[in-house]
Amino acid sequence: MEDFEVMRNLTFGQYLPVESPIHRLDPRSKLLSTGFLLVALIVSRELAALLLAFFILLGLAALARVPVGYLLKPLHAAWPFILLIVLLQLATFPGLPEAGCDTLWQWWILHITTCSVRIAALTLGRIIVLLLLINLLALSTSLNEVIHGTEHLLRPLGRIGLPANELALVLAIALRFVPLLGRETERIMKAQAARGADFGRGRWGFVQRVKRLLPLLIPLFITSLERAEDLAVAMESRCYGGSKGRSHWVQLQANSADYCALFLAVIVSAILVISPW
Amino acid sequence: MKMSTRQIAIAGVLSAISIFLGVTRLGFIPFFAGASITIMHIPVILGAILEGPLVGTIIGAIFGIFSLVQAAIAPTGVVDPAFQDPLVSVLPRLFIGVVTWAVYRAVRPVNELLALALAAAAGTLTNTVLVLGMLALRQYYAPAILWTVGITNAPFEVAAAIIISIAVITAWKRIEFGRKGADL
Repeated sequence: MEDFEVMRNLTFGQYLPVESPIHRLDPRSKLLSTGFLLVALIVSRELAALLLAFFILLGLAALARVPVGYLLKPLHAAWPFILLIVLLQLATFPGLPEAGCDTLWQWWILHITTCSVRIAALTLGRIIVLLLLINLLALSTSLNEVIHGTEHLLRPLGRIGLPANELALVLAIALRFVPLLGRETERIMKAQAARGADFGRGRWGFVQRVKRLLPLLIPLFITSLERAEDLAVAMESRCYGGSKGRSHWVQLQANSADYCALFLAVIVSAILVISPW
Repeated sequence: MKMSTRQIAIAGVLSAISIFLGVTRLGFIPFFAGASITIMHIPVILGAILEGPLVGTIIGAIFGIFSLVQAAIAPTGVVDPAFQDPLVSVLPRLFIGVVTWAVYRAVRPVNELLALALAAAAGTLTNTVLVLGMLALRQYYAPAILWTVGITNAPFEVAAAIIISIAVITAWKRIEFGRKGADL
């Protein structure tokens, strides 16, 4: 029966319910800070700034009382892929001598230039800092907090016509439905197997996988769409009216710690974006 | 921009399927050399065809954001470190809905089935081309490598998307008409 277990692999996000200053921060400030840093990291071209961000994030992780093991787990899983990307960049990125890139080593079609070293180092730094940042957010913020925070943040956009409450509701519905889908998939797999379909683990080669996918996906999509229709009817019969004039059960309070965190995030983002040291 | 309750519910549920396929790895059909065929963009295509470009874009955004978060929290694929970059994982996915809907709307007067097939193909190609394009633009992989992966994967991804989209939508529309009774 383990062949049909889908629910086991369904935990996503890694919220760690620990008491820490970071955990206690308003989710809005955490989301905004992460957003600023994310944008800054994408744009940043300075290795020194990336290093600074790296150490600051490590400090924040310590502040969040997150065990180092949890933080390093994704890195432990990802390091071969990161290595592959960086090595490929080192060896295959073109660096024209006219652009000021001196070739350091050449062999067949592979060549390492100063430009490719720079790109590889930047990418490595960016990937690692991004990993730290997103994992820190995931470890310190529960999904409920994320949904409430997102909804609060989107609210001002409601004034320019964006359906803020609706968007947050879509997110909430999506997250609520994922475990339901797990149970539904298990049921469908067992039902199809009882009808003689060839499910169960093992032999999930390409052709087998495609053959098994259709009798699984179509019932899944159809029942989900039917559920969505029922949900819509249920919402309407409870007079759901969208964002207009809607009051909220959960009120988020920001305090000085949140503004400090936001300020710090803005400063670091500015350094990442602007600096040529 | 108003969203009907039905649009909210369908957007939520299809986003859930996309997240679910990603988290359980059911959405990855392993192919050669570590690259796999993915079907997580199909809910985006379905949402766009059934409910329009807004719903498609929303599902695409949620799909993209979750692939970003998955890539950082539980990386399992070669491209995952690059997917932490929202320009690679989120931005391309915002366009799948619009393109799919536009193609569907344009071809629909000619033939419904053809419209479904072309829309699914267009949506899949949008996903593939834009994601690989951003990977190249952001210099994560050399264009030659991406080109090879794209050429080998794309036909199968398009085929899978067309088959699944047509199967689901024809079954769904039949159910819808069945429930409503006579289609006057």
